[in-house]
Amino acid sequence: MTPGQIFLWVLAVIALGFCLRRGPAAVHKAGVETGKNLIKILPMFAVALPMAAFLAELIPADAAVAWIGPDSGFAGVLLGSVAGGLMPGGPFVTFPLVLAFAKAGAGVPQMVALVSGWCVFAVHRIITWEYPVLGWRFVALRLLSSMLLPVSAGLIAELVVEVLPIALGSR
Amino acid sequence: MTSFLRRHASLLVIGAIASLGAAALWQRDGGPAVGRALYHAWELFLFIAPSLLAGMLLAAALRQLMSPGALARWMGAESGWFGLAVATLAGMLTPGGPMAAFPLVLVLAGAGADRGALVAYITSWTLNGFQRVLVYEAPLLGPGFAILRVVITLPMPLLAGWIARRLPIAWEPPK
Repeated sequence: MTPGQIFLWVLAVIALGFCLRRGPAAVHKAGVETGKNLIKILPMFAVALPMAAFLAELIPADAAVAWIGPDSGFAGVLLGSVAGGLMPGGPFVTFPLVLAFAKAGAGVPQMVALVSGWCVFAVHRIITWEYPVLGWRFVALRLLSSMLLPVSAGLIAELVVEVLPIALGSR
Repeated sequence: MTSFLRRHASLLVIGAIASLGAAALWQRDGGPAVGRALYHAWELFLFIAPSLLAGMLLAAALRQLMSPGALARWMGAESGWFGLAVATLAGMLTPGGPMAAFPLVLVLAGAGADRGALVAYITSWTLNGFQRVLVYEAPLLGPGFAILRVVITLPMPLLAGWIARRLPIAWEPPK
């Protein structure tokens, strides 16, 4: 297990401990909820991970370099932000796809913009959740307030990476 | 039939893309290449599974412990930067996907949070929610990348909330 995973397990055990102090019923409820969520998410994994793996094989090794490579600068950051917003699905779909981009030569600032753009704009999430639950006024309010965030994050990352080189990927 | 389609729309779309991808890969590199890709996918699953399970347990436990309504009294229209900071922190701690977070916005609004705090809350959840960062981003893209992005975007929900309070768009929670 990686340090990050150990950290997450420690947090989970602490939180479950607090649940136990409230009574065994709370722990039971947490367990049942986890099981239900796992059953919901596993079919997604079963199709999303192979999809990302196939696409990673099909995308040529340097496909991303010209568009969102380390030397693509502001244009790459802008493109990354917009492309991120158009990526469909939750993190189990998007992060394997993003991993494919990283392997195809994307730069770190452009990846920061891509991930942030996916988080902030998430067109599919606006259509399926935000608009139906909260209405278009909230969508407009939120989008206007956070419009510049992904691009700014990418540009700040560009400055940081110049003094502090950061590698993408864990393996 | 239509309700089945609607409920499983993303599953079907992703499944269709996966099948097309498999077919294209088979065409180009042959069957063994498809097998290798499937094996990579399986390895990725084994890599992510421990964090996934821990993240879900943590999320479910937090949902038993937190009462969002109690937080909202710190998030009113007069709460200033402090209210935005509380909203940002609450957003980072909110577990789960959109089916959990967006209804929580309604709960917070009903308990007195203003639009700036709500924008800060949802922006913080989506940018830096602990589950997304710890379960997916750090293992897959590397801890260095995850820390860089989180540190850069950490103050941004505050800024978004500050802007939202100044925009002339009134928002009332839908009844």
